[in-house]
Amino acid sequence: MHTKLDACLDAVNQILLGKEPQVRLALTCLLARGHLLIEDLPGMGKTTLSHALANVLGLNFQRIQFTSDLLPGDILGTSVFDKDTGLFVFHPGPIFAELVLADEINRATPKSQSALLEAMEEGQVTIEGATRPLPEPFFVIATQNPVSQGGTFALPESQLDRFLMRLSLGYPAKAAEKALLLGEARREMLPRLDAVLSHEQLAALQAEVPKVRASDAVVDYVLRLVEATRTQPQFAWGLSPRASLALLAAARAWAFLAQRDYVIPEDVQAVLPSVVGHRLRERADPTGHGGGTLVQWLLREVPAL
Amino acid sequence: MAVFKQRWQRWLQRRIPPATSVLLTQRRIFIIPTRIGAAFSLALLLMLMAGINYQNSPAYGLTFLLAAVFVIAILHTYRNLAGLTLHAAGGSPVFVGEQATLRVRLSSNGRAHQSVALGWPPQDLQHFDVPANGLAECELIVPARKRGWLRPGRLRVESRFPLGILVTWSLVDLDQAVLVYPRPLAGDMPVAAGTREDDEDQGARVLGQGADDYQGLKTYQPGDSKRRLHWKAYSRGHGLLVKDFAALAGRDLWLDFSELQGDSEMRLSVLCHWVLSLSERQQPFALRLPGLVLGPDNGQTHREACLRALALYGQENVR
Amino acid sequence: MSAVQAIPRISLLWLLVAQVLVIIPHLAHLPLWIVALWLVCAGWRVQIYRMRAQYPATWLKSGLTVGIVGGVYLSRGSLIGLDAGVVLLIAAFILKLVEMRSRRDALVLILLGFFAVVTVYLFDDRLTTVAFTLLPVTGLLAALIGLQQSPLQQSPWQPLRLAASLLAQALPLMLLLFLFFPRFGPLWSLPMPDQRGVTGLSDSMAPNDIAELSRSDALAFRASFEGAPPPRNQQYWRALTFDKFEGRRWSQSSEVRWTSAPSWTPAGEPIRYRIIMEASSKPWLFGIDLATTELERTRLMSDFRLERREPVDQKLVYRVTSWPQALREPTMVKPAIRRVLQLPADGNPRSRAWAQQLKDQYPDPQALVQAVLQHFNREPYFYTLRPPPVGENSIDDFLFDTRRGFCEHYAGATAFVLRAAGVPARVVTGYQGGELNVSGNYIQVRQFDAHAWVEYWREGTGWTSVDPTFQVAPQRIEQGLEQALAGEQSFLENSPLSLLRYRHIGWLNDLRMSWENLNYGWERWVLGYQQGTQLEVLQKWFGRLDSGDFVLALVGGGGAVLLLVALWLFKPWRRERDVHQRLYLRFERLLARHGVQRQPGEGARAFAQRAELALPAQLGHIRAFADAFEAQRYGGAPSAPDHLQCHLRALRRALPIRLLRRD
Repeated sequence: MHTKLDACLDAVNQILLGKEPQVRLALTCLLARGHLLIEDLPGMGKTTLSHALANVLGLNFQRIQFTSDLLPGDILGTSVFDKDTGLFVFHPGPIFAELVLADEINRATPKSQSALLEAMEEGQVTIEGATRPLPEPFFVIATQNPVSQGGTFALPESQLDRFLMRLSLGYPAKAAEKALLLGEARREMLPRLDAVLSHEQLAALQAEVPKVRASDAVVDYVLRLVEATRTQPQFAWGLSPRASLALLAAARAWAFLAQRDYVIPEDVQAVLPSVVGHRLRERADPTGHGGGTLVQWLLREVPAL
Repeated sequence: MAVFKQRWQRWLQRRIPPATSVLLTQRRIFIIPTRIGAAFSLALLLMLMAGINYQNSPAYGLTFLLAAVFVIAILHTYRNLAGLTLHAAGGSPVFVGEQATLRVRLSSNGRAHQSVALGWPPQDLQHFDVPANGLAECELIVPARKRGWLRPGRLRVESRFPLGILVTWSLVDLDQAVLVYPRPLAGDMPVAAGTREDDEDQGARVLGQGADDYQGLKTYQPGDSKRRLHWKAYSRGHGLLVKDFAALAGRDLWLDFSELQGDSEMRLSVLCHWVLSLSERQQPFALRLPGLVLGPDNGQTHREACLRALALYGQENVR
Repeated sequence: MSAVQAIPRISLLWLLVAQVLVIIPHLAHLPLWIVALWLVCAGWRVQIYRMRAQYPATWLKSGLTVGIVGGVYLSRGSLIGLDAGVVLLIAAFILKLVEMRSRRDALVLILLGFFAVVTVYLFDDRLTTVAFTLLPVTGLLAALIGLQQSPLQQSPWQPLRLAASLLAQALPLMLLLFLFFPRFGPLWSLPMPDQRGVTGLSDSMAPNDIAELSRSDALAFRASFEGAPPPRNQQYWRALTFDKFEGRRWSQSSEVRWTSAPSWTPAGEPIRYRIIMEASSKPWLFGIDLATTELERTRLMSDFRLERREPVDQKLVYRVTSWPQALREPTMVKPAIRRVLQLPADGNPRSRAWAQQLKDQYPDPQALVQAVLQHFNREPYFYTLRPPPVGENSIDDFLFDTRRGFCEHYAGATAFVLRAAGVPARVVTGYQGGELNVSGNYIQVRQFDAHAWVEYWREGTGWTSVDPTFQVAPQRIEQGLEQALAGEQSFLENSPLSLLRYRHIGWLNDLRMSWENLNYGWERWVLGYQQGTQLEVLQKWFGRLDSGDFVLALVGGGGAVLLLVALWLFKPWRRERDVHQRLYLRFERLLARHGVQRQPGEGARAFAQRAELALPAQLGHIRAFADAFEAQRYGGAPSAPDHLQCHLRALRRALPIRLLRRD
């Protein structure tokens, strides 16, 4: 099984050059059954990453481009009157896919945003009184531009908390960018990617992750981290229990990806920036994005052993 | 005396260096008998006299039993403080003349701690119980008398439990500070000269949030004014929505320090008043202090930045 | 401290409970109205707490104080003296309860309570009472703890438990202090508790006096012998003698009091023993026949009794040496002889006539005495606790009409007849026999062992004791009162609950004996643990001691005891981190000495990788240790500290020796 996972990573890394850590984290997020938020400037390969992941994992892929005039119905689907039968027929929206790329989520109005996020949280959609389950597996990759860009609606904290991880792809390294320029167009390579995993295999892998052993010592470390965010004055607020659960789940998936059946503090540290970065604010600057420095502080100061 | 005090402070500084979280260990805890302890000893002495003069063994016995309890109480009193961890948990800014609230979190490392007193003498200490392996959130009150950073100094933490005949205490520096804003003082609006001339009344341009024009509803985000919550929608189950207003640009107000008369404290107080009332009205404004310009902008962040600037104006220790 | 701090509910509760418990052992010597006062005050205090009553006004307080002082004066007849003092103390203790507002008042009340407990001991220092007083002490401590608790605390048991555990932890230290704290004599003299109610021998004897005393089973004294105790029929515990007869009552002439001990010669084997005497409020002490003691301020009087300068108001322990075969006062001056021949001018004519007849018949005094005793033996005389009343001529009535009597009848009649026949004689009172506690090797003498017998004098041989009762009821001497009265069923008939009545029930008697033993030990070793006993005991255990040794024992022993209690309280071994972490700490320190320092946020694997880069030569050992640590701590591998230790040792051997950190 692990060879399959490695094959997945290799395949995606073929497409997205020089982004091994991010790809690994994205796969971790998926194994932990979490949703992913990618925050970056346009053109950094967010869409490519999502698409490649979908292809490699054999998931059917839908992309929703969020715009300010997008309505909830455009995401969830609508009922249309069929003249022939005289009945309303439900036309499912793009959300009924296994991997949904919500592109530039912060461009849409909060109303549309929350339609997506509620579906993510509940795993089902309720339209006109009928509850329809979303497919299994269901994985959302949302991308957003940094909030400083004009004409955007920033996701509020409560919504951010629903994403297991937030990643930032960043500019590629010089060598990687050169390879990109010299090589084939990435979009054309995408359709050629073959699915490495079947649905059953993916489900089996996801079921394996919670079985990864988290010893008392590791749980204590997670507790120490959370406790520090709640007691140290530089944190505007502490991490929620949902965040500590997320942290342990992600660390388990990371350890699983590293072919280990137990979690060590380094696993927690590896996922910590992406899991808690978007959930923390500096007290001195409660509106800004001070998460990064806070995470660095946590990694440096909280005793790992 | 002053020399002695200084030495004492220096010694404390070495012994219990400032930190945001302090574990009370035997290096940091002091213990002496209280006045109650002295009275208790006196009673014991009387009882001993009775034992000696009446040659009465049970009287000796009771005296010795209580004397032994006194000695054992040293351990118990010490134990009630040892192992306790104090964390600074911050505090919210206040205005001069108000009571500043500093939060301290006490956490137990195993056993329960009863009746732990915290405070800054000569003020009264407040008593808290900490459950075993638990936390106690303590809100301590200090009067804010001066603008700027209020640093109440070393926090006295003491305990007389169980018998009150001994007191064990420590003086910890949790490195706590609360920002104290100037006392708001109503006065003429110190609008900077010249800004009004630039004012071209050529229609309004939407500039983010404001107070002028109703634009519609948007979902509540932390930081939005609670006064604009759309309660009707909330009661219908639509979640928290706020009424969105847009401000009309071109009427920015410039609050200017140099426009005011009087001593600087007075001027800061007036500015403070206007920062508050303009923020209340959601009106964008700018603040101009010697060497510093903030805005024009509006909203919670801007308000806080302005108040902070006013509080720290002219102060050396700006953290 | 703020102005007035309210008294927490729990503290008030325990204070009320402790107050009852303090007052209970005092009840025996308190006037009844004190109880009423307590009920009123406690009710008032509870109502104040429930905000249904006011604190007393100043005028009311002054009125109450005056009233109580008056009441004490009326019921005790004085305001000074221990009795009145204690009543005043208890009254103050009760009144303070109502007046108490602040924690400081509560504290005063608690300290008063401790002092009131001490005063209990002055009146009653029995083991049971002292054990009972632990209850009020615990209650008072619980109230003291309650004062320090925050008002939010709800459980009243928590302070009680804490108080009890404090007392339990204080116990070893208290024992140490009790053993080694040097005992002094009284620093100044203080009023003693009033012992008027104590039963015991009195300084005169009329018919039926001793019979009355024999209805009591109260303890008179205990005697513990170094060797085997003398046989029962030789256990004549002398207390005092009567040489003056006034027709009905025997008493002591005042001359005996002022003349000092006459000559005597020791003879035969002495008996050595120790007497633990109960308070009698009388100055005389007890001893077999002629007894000497080294007790201070005690002397041998002219009738060979032991008398102390002041009455025995508290338990008294003294050593005695008895010389049963000593020759006592072989010569006597005329006036002294006249004194022991004195009789009233008239009365008891029949007895006098009989005496005259005997005198004529037996010129030798010894033969005469034998004849009198023979008479009691031969004629139908009866030994009884219920003698019929005798008239004006008491001796005549007894000797010739009723012929039924208790020991004082026989002794009195014998002495009368001897004197009338010209033989100097006197009545001796004291105790005879006692109950031997075999396991404790001591004899308990109770009031019903009170006895009277006779001594007569002869030129050259001095005083000789004879017991007419023996002729009538030999069981009384050989076995005891109960057996002597077996036919009559009158032994302790007024005290049906006395365990002594049930001596024939085996297990009950064993139980009683063990209890007596315990009490004896308590009195001998605890109550008697004063100056002399302390030195004796400590020297027996530790050899010669000087004052330095005492200080050393108190300080050193106290320190050791305190250390043990501290260890038990803090349990430092529990705080120790688990074994893996301890070993890892050693690993860390080892590497730190070689310049690789772990950062707090660095995990085991990351640190090992960094260390491998810094110390490539020891790569294998470092990795082996780190892997084993990781597997055991995180990987769920079975905990094997010795495995880790093995890796650590290998790494230490592989590294060059370096003791200090390299920076």
